[in-house]
This record gives sequence, structure tokens and C-alpha cells, in this order.
Amino acid sequence: MKVPRSLQIWRLGIVNYSDALKLQEKLVSDRKIHKISDTLLSLQHPPTYTLGKRRTDHNLLISEAELKKLGAELHYTQRGGDITFHGPHQAILYPIISLRDIGLGARNYVEKLESTMIEIASLYGVKACPGQKGETGIWVGDRKIGAIGVRIQYGITSHGLAFNIDPDLNYFKHIVPCGIADKDVTSLRRETGIPLPAEDVIHEQLVSCFARQFGYDSLIWKDNVSILSDN
Amino acid sequence: MALRMWASSTANALRISCASKTPAFALSRCFSSVLDGLKYASSHEWVKHEGSVATVGITDHAQDHLGEVVFVELPETGASVKQGGGFGVVESVKATSDVNSPISGEVIEVNTKLTETPGLVNSSPYEEGWLIKVKPSSPSDLESLMDPQAYTKFCEEENAAH
Repeated sequence: MKVPRSLQIWRLGIVNYSDALKLQEKLVSDRKIHKISDTLLSLQHPPTYTLGKRRTDHNLLISEAELKKLGAELHYTQRGGDITFHGPHQAILYPIISLRDIGLGARNYVEKLESTMIEIASLYGVKACPGQKGETGIWVGDRKIGAIGVRIQYGITSHGLAFNIDPDLNYFKHIVPCGIADKDVTSLRRETGIPLPAEDVIHEQLVSCFARQFGYDSLIWKDNVSILSDN
Repeated sequence: MALRMWASSTANALRISCASKTPAFALSRCFSSVLDGLKYASSHEWVKHEGSVATVGITDHAQDHLGEVVFVELPETGASVKQGGGFGVVESVKATSDVNSPISGEVIEVNTKLTETPGLVNSSPYEEGWLIKVKPSSPSDLESLMDPQAYTKFCEEENAAH
């Protein structure tokens, strides 16, 4: 008696953080009134540092002026979790889905996001696992390969996961990633022995892993969406 | 730490006592306790209306689905809350979740203990872990909420959909 569930996937390429945030806000309100079905944004950001709800500035190790010199932006957000970095060659998924419709709580939702990243890593022979208690995100040994931070409003999710395909890891030297000191950050490129395909292929695989974890039967791909059409 | 342990042992004691009082609920499939005498919203908040004060918190089912709560953001005293509108945020396992008010009214007290000990929301959702006290502006709001039986059924259906 399982009702088929469909997921709309928007492939957006590189999107700056504010535009992606505005888009998510609009989609959350549309999803809340059932104007749209579950939607998944697949994208990358230009270099951007973001902080979570708790505004843990102390984990940012450089000044805003120095950030500017690096060409990076800084954003305060309403998601859970600590400071993180987003940049080119890091795959981002922002699911706008109704947890109430699938009877999923925050904890199980975050676990499924973790499993999504574990699965994509395993496709490249990389054994990743969830962090120890208090260290969410996805790890290869004691090196972090993926981060999670989500917001849930009226049972609708926003923000999501970031998986390091091959970002410039030097950017992570300026923060205490996710507030955990003495841990390194890594990428799929660094951990795998297999040559990586084009990044859009990896994005697509990540989306498939997500769809499998959450039990979506039909995937509707949307390309070249003009995300600022409403502005 | 001592406070946390004390709180969780109180919660255990409370759970045992409510299980013995209301075995039908305790045996429900979600294994979360649902207390008699409270009203429940479909977004998993409870309200306890006593005289001119209504205490609001999140249910045992909700805290169980959230996981360990590490941060709670509540409104200021004097703020107004609207039925179905968000009034605060709980953060657990890298997720911030909005908390909605089951009733409209004015916030007359907030649970300041949660600043230091947010885990009370997990260990004692119906007692020590309450969130806000409200002076209701329209007590008829309560009529649109679920009673314990209806809420227990609601949780079971939600778990079954999962």
C-alpha cells in the first residue's frame, strides 16, 4: 500500500549563498501550502563560510577583512550545527521535504543524510562513517569528508548536506570545522584510489543515493531553472 | 551533571508512574508517554491549562524524534504567541526545529533553566522541560487540540507511515 513518491531535483550549478537561501525560503513556504512536492536542490557555492543558529564566531579564526581578501563571504544562518565552509568542488544538497508526510523526526532525518554520504563514498571505495557522539557529519577515520546542518520549520526541511568532492582544503584552515578542534578535513579526491568522473556525474550519484535513502520512486530532473524569476 | 542525573531520574519515576496510571497509552506502539489532562497539537506540542495560565512544552514523542537537545531559544516575557505560529527553536543533532504554540496569548514566563540545561527537554518533557507559560487570549483555542487518546492514535499513525 505504499504511495509512490516523487522528488523534483533542481540542478543549479554554482549559486551564491544569499540566492540559494532566498530560493529555499520560497520553496519552504510553497511546500508548506502543498504548492510544490518534495524538492531537492543540487548545487555548489562560491567560497562561503556559514555559521549556525548558535553563532559560534569563536570558531572562525580570521577577521572579516581577511575573509574578504580570500574572496570568501560570511553568512549567519538559522540552521543547526557549527561553522562550516562551502566552495567550488563541494557538492551541496538542500532538500525541501515534508518530514511529517513521511513520519520522520529530526534525528532520523539527519541519520539518513549521513547514510547518503556514506553510500556515495562507498561507490569510490572509501569507507566513511558517522562521527562519534557530538561529532555529526561524515568521517573517514578522523578526517571529515561531509557536513550536515538543517533547519525544520512546520515539519519542512531546509539547508542540508555538503560533501567534499575536491574543494581547496586550505579554506578549512581558517575555521574549527563544526567546532571540533584537532580534526582534519578531507575530500573524496584525497581518499579514493579511483579516478573521479566529471563532477556532474558525482552530483547525480549523490542525488540517487539520497533518493534511495528516502524511498523516492520517481525523480523529476529540472535543469536551467531561473532561480531569481520571482525577484 | 548532578542536576541532569536528578532530572532524568525524576523523569524515569514520572514515566513509571504514568505508565501504571494509563497502561493503554504506555503500551502504544510509539513507546512514548502521553499524559492525561493535557491537550496536544499535531505539531507535537502539549499545553496544560490551569486557571489563567497555560504551560506549553514539546511531547515525549517529539523529544524522542528530535534526539538530544543541545540548545533552546525562547521568546522574551511579554511577547505574544499565536496558535500554530512558531515561538521558539530547539536544536538537536545539527538540526534546528521551530516550535509552534498550541494556543494564542501573551508569554508570562519562560523556562530559563533550559539555557543551561537544554537536555531537560529530553529527560522530562512534561515537567522540568516545559518551555513557556502563556496567558491565553482565546481559551477556545484548546477545543481545536487533541485529547490524549486522539494524540496517541495520531503518533501511532505517524509511526506507521514511517
